[in-house]
Amino acid sequence: MSEADSQRETLESWKQIAAYLNRSERTVRRWEASEGLPVHRREHQKQDTILAYVHEIDRWSRRRTRTSVHPSSASDSESPRSAASDTLSWGHEPANNYLIEHDAITRTIDCYIAGGRAGDGELMRPAFHPEATIAGYCQGIEYSGSIEHLFDWVKENGPAPNIHPRFARIEIFETIAIVYLEVQGWSGKLAGTDSRISEVFTLLKRDREWKITQKTFHWHDT
Amino acid sequence: MAVSRYATEYDAIVKTMQQYIDGGKQGKSELMRPAFHPNASFFGYAGGELAIGTAFLFEWIDKNGPAPDIHPRFVSIDILESIAVVRLEVDGWSGAEAGSGARMSDVFTLLRTPQGWKIIQKAFHWYS
Repeated sequence: MSEADSQRETLESWKQIAAYLNRSERTVRRWEASEGLPVHRREHQKQDTILAYVHEIDRWSRRRTRTSVHPSSASDSESPRSAASDTLSWGHEPANNYLIEHDAITRTIDCYIAGGRAGDGELMRPAFHPEATIAGYCQGIEYSGSIEHLFDWVKENGPAPNIHPRFARIEIFETIAIVYLEVQGWSGKLAGTDSRISEVFTLLKRDREWKITQKTFHWHDT
Repeated sequence: MAVSRYATEYDAIVKTMQQYIDGGKQGKSELMRPAFHPNASFFGYAGGELAIGTAFLFEWIDKNGPAPDIHPRFVSIDILESIAVVRLEVDGWSGAEAGSGARMSDVFTLLRTPQGWKIIQKAFHWYS
């Protein structure tokens, strides 16, 4: 196909974009949210109608493949920054890179909260690195081990729709970040009613996404 | 937290962290091991690969050997009941693994256990 032809070609649904990139719809939606996949929204329409140009998708795809995924490679500590601005050349300035990382981190934590609210460990799993661990105290007893324990706990606890999280701190150091979350309103079979937990998350930047590597919690006594 | 209790906890946290620093300076993991919780987590990119697990850290410290010129700065110490978060900025790393003049940002989470404050998590960014 010539360049001119592909300039006219469009993809007009998430399904078409997913098929073109040979990925699931969920993945391409995530790429739009966190990796700058160029999708245009038709704001004047009532529904969530979207449009993507094949030549823009191709360009994004080529850049994504070319960029190193190892932040501390020879191109040094600048590579996370250049990676972000590489995929976001459609009107985003390098000065916003900090904000881009900040937003990606809050999205990861939001995924965790969504799982807690739903009482569904599988829903929060993507927020975590596969080898993540958890540790903390609840009523004087220490719990520590694989993050699977958290997913099991969340499932057994059931939904906690009234969780109210407050971000007390987000700090970012290139490839690592730390988040302090104050959470009120935990409820459920195991949580009781209206419990308060202080949570500290460590996150790692991997392939332009942030994953929780460790969670420490302190369950406040009522 | 009452001031007197805050000071006690703060000093205990710094004491645990000193074990970590001493281990790094002398290139001896046995000095820093007591500072770590048995289930401690360790993550960070080292030389282009992702390093996971305290076994990697301890081995690295022993292989690296002494780093007598490391200059660690306590950037923050936060205490939230049984959790503490410590940020160190360290430059002056040297040794077989570190090379020379390397700088790292370290983030530690500590847990207040009956055996004292223990590092439950360390994550780092190595500036090349």
